[in-house]
Amino acid sequence: MTDDPTPDDLDLRERELFAALPRTSMPDPHATERLVATLAREGFLRAHAPPARRLRRLAAAAALFTAGVAVGASAGARFASRYSLEHALARTDLTVPDRVLLLQRAGSAYVTAAHGYADATAHADSTAVEVANEVLRGAAHAVLKSNLNSTLSASLVAVLQTPRAPSPTTATKPILWY
Amino acid sequence: MPADDPLRDLPDRALIRRFLDGEEAAFRVLHGRHAPRLRMTVLRLLGRRRDEVDDVEQEAWLGACRGMHAFNGTARFSSWLATIGIRAACARFSPGSDTQPCEMDDLPAPPLPAAATAIDLERALERLPDRQRAVVVLHDVEGFTHAEIARKLDMAPGTSKVTLLRARHALRRLLADGASDD
Repeated sequence: MTDDPTPDDLDLRERELFAALPRTSMPDPHATERLVATLAREGFLRAHAPPARRLRRLAAAAALFTAGVAVGASAGARFASRYSLEHALARTDLTVPDRVLLLQRAGSAYVTAAHGYADATAHADSTAVEVANEVLRGAAHAVLKSNLNSTLSASLVAVLQTPRAPSPTTATKPILWY
Repeated sequence: MPADDPLRDLPDRALIRRFLDGEEAAFRVLHGRHAPRLRMTVLRLLGRRRDEVDDVEQEAWLGACRGMHAFNGTARFSSWLATIGIRAACARFSPGSDTQPCEMDDLPAPPLPAAATAIDLERALERLPDRQRAVVVLHDVEGFTHAEIARKLDMAPGTSKVTLLRARHALRRLLADGASDD
């Protein structure tokens, strides 16, 4: 804005007085809120426009949740590792009752794994049954070699020496369970 | 408004676009940036009708928001908003106030008292007739030219010049007589 000359111009003192007048005045906060409410009523403002502060809070909450999940997963993994079958098998400080329990756990784990393998491959892979049987037979031989129990060893020898004939249950349950 | 609000750094045009998209935060930044200046202009134009300032300010902002989609950005937003505010304030003037004579119009203007302060000037401005106050405020405080004042107040530029001369004359008389004692 350029001023155009006016015949009766202000002198220096008058200019200073005008320059000293304040140029701003803070608006009444209540009036501002009324204005915002009116604009919202008239549809100028989105009903749920998230202010930056709310967005920051949501981001902080999401970060906290993510951190919590990560810490929980890490702690869970450490716990699972400490009590895993592999970890227990590697231990040398187990008592006899603990070892019996470990044997049961390992056996159950083997059965579960073999079951899963059979289910997953029985319809797609014709050698699955044979593979499962061979694995089980290998386990039985290992039991015989360790001679854990003479009665069990005798039973196993009897089973292993019996000529294998097609079993009516093979088609549906192809693994020899113990 | 938080000090680290990233919206604070956006130019007016970006804030306007966001406001037109319904973003309340953008409007608050725009309002916070321009409301203090607009309020002071309106307050000064209203003179002794200070109690009407909130209504006029609200009216100006609502008018600006309703017409924001038509703001093409060729002028500065502050000037555009000021024009709306000036018109809203001047609409409150008493009918015929532009022809309202100043009682001391014909007397010679005395020199400005040495002790006169900005407060005295403010109070003297309040006592001017509406149109004279509007012209002197817009010209000597806000810095508008006579052509701009003429457009804003719907008067001829020559009328603006004459009104300014009368207004300054009256102001000097009021200051000499001690407007602060009123």
